[in-house]
Amino acid sequence: MAVNEAIASLAPKQDTAQRVAPVSAGAVIRRILLLLGILVFVVVAIFPVYYMIITTFKANDDLYNLTHFPLWFTDKATFGHVQYLFQKTEFRRWLINSYLIALGTVVITVLTAVPAGYALARLNLPGAGPLSIGIFLTYLVPPSLLFIPLSQVVSRLHLIDNIWALVVIYPTFTIPFCTWLMMGFFKTIPFDIEEAALIDGCNRIQAIRRVVLPLSRAGIFSIMMFAFTLALQEFIYALVFIHGKESKPVTLGVVTDLIRGDVFYWGELMAGGIIAGLPVAILYNFFLDDFIAGITAGSVK
Amino acid sequence: MAIAIGARKRSHVSSRGVVFRSRVLGYLLLAPAMIYIIGLVAVPFFLALKFSLTDATVSNLNGVRGFIGLENFTGLLKDQTFRAALRNTIIYSLVTAVVNSILGTTLAFILLAKFRGKKIVRYLVLLPWTIPIALTIQAWKWMFHPQYSVLNWLGKHTHIITAQYGIQWLGQPKSAMASIIMVNVWRNFPFSAVILLAGLTSIPQDIIDAAKIDGANWFTRYRKIIVPMIAPILFIGLLFNLVFNFTDLTIVFLLTQGGPGNATEVLATYAFKVGIASGQLGRGAAVTLFLFPILFLFSIVFLRQLRKREI
Repeated sequence: MAVNEAIASLAPKQDTAQRVAPVSAGAVIRRILLLLGILVFVVVAIFPVYYMIITTFKANDDLYNLTHFPLWFTDKATFGHVQYLFQKTEFRRWLINSYLIALGTVVITVLTAVPAGYALARLNLPGAGPLSIGIFLTYLVPPSLLFIPLSQVVSRLHLIDNIWALVVIYPTFTIPFCTWLMMGFFKTIPFDIEEAALIDGCNRIQAIRRVVLPLSRAGIFSIMMFAFTLALQEFIYALVFIHGKESKPVTLGVVTDLIRGDVFYWGELMAGGIIAGLPVAILYNFFLDDFIAGITAGSVK
Repeated sequence: MAIAIGARKRSHVSSRGVVFRSRVLGYLLLAPAMIYIIGLVAVPFFLALKFSLTDATVSNLNGVRGFIGLENFTGLLKDQTFRAALRNTIIYSLVTAVVNSILGTTLAFILLAKFRGKKIVRYLVLLPWTIPIALTIQAWKWMFHPQYSVLNWLGKHTHIITAQYGIQWLGQPKSAMASIIMVNVWRNFPFSAVILLAGLTSIPQDIIDAAKIDGANWFTRYRKIIVPMIAPILFIGLLFNLVFNFTDLTIVFLLTQGGPGNATEVLATYAFKVGIASGQLGRGAAVTLFLFPILFLFSIVFLRQLRKREI
């Protein structure tokens, strides 16, 4: 009886009307396969993250003992690595740098991408179509192609080893995509609303400020999140432009300063990765749907 | 409403000034973004073109001989490491894109099904994509450790790995290539999945229902409705994937630095070594420009796809 119930509970939930029909064996097998599939994907996806967390809290004697079970603690868990990270390294500085850089990137991105998105979506500019596609295509020009000339631009601006270098450079990859996203958002606001404001005696800029911007708050918020997390994830430009310990963002600092010659501080490395990485993952999740909508907007209609 | 339309018409007809003013405003609004993109994407791109035709170095921006024509490019084609890098880049990006698409499609169909806790499952499977890769790559490096590799431990205890000392993941040419591919796939398949999922959920259920009523079995439904409808989106996902993999620097640089030997050297890491680490700007820029024709090709295909949709 209990087994039957268990099997029935594995079957897909159906509406009341269909529930009377007996559950077929095929449906149960499909359900079991589905659950197995979910399990495999989840385990593969989170195993490295899980292992990072375990390593973070493992004492060195436990970590570097081949007879110990690696997937759980044999000795007592410790905060030693986290303490070391905050007390003996520049980790706190790197975290602050990362967030400052990301904030700067967000400000520049919003100030450029929102007006541009509006102009391209709404003002019937001659050449708006090719221009907007051109902007999107610059998203496909990767850092790997630009870092050599940009290193010269940055040194010409006397910004080498300065977090401002990254604040200036990061918008190059956030602006194109965010402009594209904002175009999409502005297009969903009915033109009539804006027109009504214009007729009521607002000029264009007042209409934008009082009607369009409040209505696109969700869109603006998601490009802010997008720019913020992308800036936190970046590595290549930081590697090329920043060398001093003091000005590194966390992605660079953790991987360069916690490896001294051949000595890797594995506990500290994993601790740094988890502390810096998980908040980004949580943020990312909030705006993920908008992000996907933006990428797929070009292909589904 | 009728009044509104009339008013709008009148204002457009009555004064050209309104249209003109909104055009000026439009270009003004567009200007900051355009200046940014021109100044920090287009100009640097042409700067790279210029560098690639000279023997410029970090200490001597004009080079000793200055303009040297295509010498950097012809030199590269004879360079063993460069040729290895080109070959590796193609293998690396193609294999990862294909494996990614297969795993991504599977995951997308799984996420399409109804089950409890889907939100949490989605969050968990997306972790590889949402945590900065520069940080998680250290976890992989730790899992690939020559002595303490947990993957070897797991492999030996499940009797999948039989070699006495396990696999030297990053120490052997073939396994090093397999390792960077594995990490890239781990990082990117969730992304392929969510893109595809967006495509799948955009297919109106009533179309599928109508086909069911008309007697189409699931195979016909897939072949005639679902596949054609998600093909463009699958294609866009694949395109992004190829572009990102083709130009990837972070994974390879942090995991193997192109080693052992030049077994995992790719164009981006080689460009970094030549152009930044040893300061040969001209030659380094030439390496990166080999990325461009392929990116250009991608863009053309992408544009085609966009245009097809609009007709």
